[in-house]
Amino acid sequence: MSNDVMFIQAGHDSKIVEMPIPEKRTESALIAALVAAGLLNDENLRVFVDDAEDEVLKDREAEIKGLKHGCRIHLSHCKRIDVTVHYQEKTAELKFAPGVRVKAVKQWATREFHIDPKDAPEHVLQICNSKERPSSDTPLAALAHGCGCNVCFDLVPEKRVEG
Amino acid sequence: MQTAVSPDRLLLEKDLAASEFRLGEIEGRWRLVSVEWPHVVIAVTVAERDQSDHELGLRFECTGYRQTPVTAQPWDLNGHRPLPHNRWPRGKSIIPSIFRPEWKGGQCLYLPCDRMAIEGHGNWQNEHPGRLWDSSRGLICYLEQIYDLLNSCDFTGAACA
Repeated sequence: MSNDVMFIQAGHDSKIVEMPIPEKRTESALIAALVAAGLLNDENLRVFVDDAEDEVLKDREAEIKGLKHGCRIHLSHCKRIDVTVHYQEKTAELKFAPGVRVKAVKQWATREFHIDPKDAPEHVLQICNSKERPSSDTPLAALAHGCGCNVCFDLVPEKRVEG
Repeated sequence: MQTAVSPDRLLLEKDLAASEFRLGEIEGRWRLVSVEWPHVVIAVTVAERDQSDHELGLRFECTGYRQTPVTAQPWDLNGHRPLPHNRWPRGKSIIPSIFRPEWKGGQCLYLPCDRMAIEGHGNWQNEHPGRLWDSSRGLICYLEQIYDLLNSCDFTGAACA
């Protein structure tokens, strides 16, 4: 039996659950393993592997290529997350898969706003109307609170630590 | 007679075995090097740069964990000593403001989540709310910041031994 593990992240619950990858690396086997672990009690939860766009379905026997040691499994009510980023007077919007991470959103946003790549480190994504700046590895599903499938960011200057 | 293990040490050991820390290890963001209470040495992976180390060692002092923030000193993983100042990470803008070997003799990073650095810097509560110590997350919040910094375009390298 393999020692490979996967990490389950349920919506905005910050607790991550580690469990063995099922021997058969198919969609149906993954769903069965999550159900057996008591992680899929809500039938409205959708299952995504890492940043894949397509959700995992219980009645499909297809092999999941991304189901490998250390992968993240996202349980989300959202099929897509509507992301809005404000920068100065401009706004950009795009839909992302729930497992896409903040660093990918920042890369997209800096391109959209034509920010010189050398200036990108001096900007950071901050949740709108808050002081929360999620780390670059945070998946969007962890930020889509409540019933909404949306996340709003301000792209703000990163200050040097001084004083 | 057995000596009782202190709650701060127990909590640190729990966090080092937790999924959040293991996920970072498996994803190659950091690795645990050693634990000698109250110190823990962790190597953080850094972006590839010419003639630069691929990891930064940090030696954390964790007394009072997690209610009390940790403090971390760049650490020579091979020499088992503080990292010589000429090998500290360099950068263009944000990194030089945080990695300041001349400050306090290089005993800690100039980072709001660092116990030693936050002393006397009440202004950081408002100026850097995203960089403060989060006692609900512990070491992870410190490690994530270092990993993000040293894997950004701001990072220009750190001299090898």
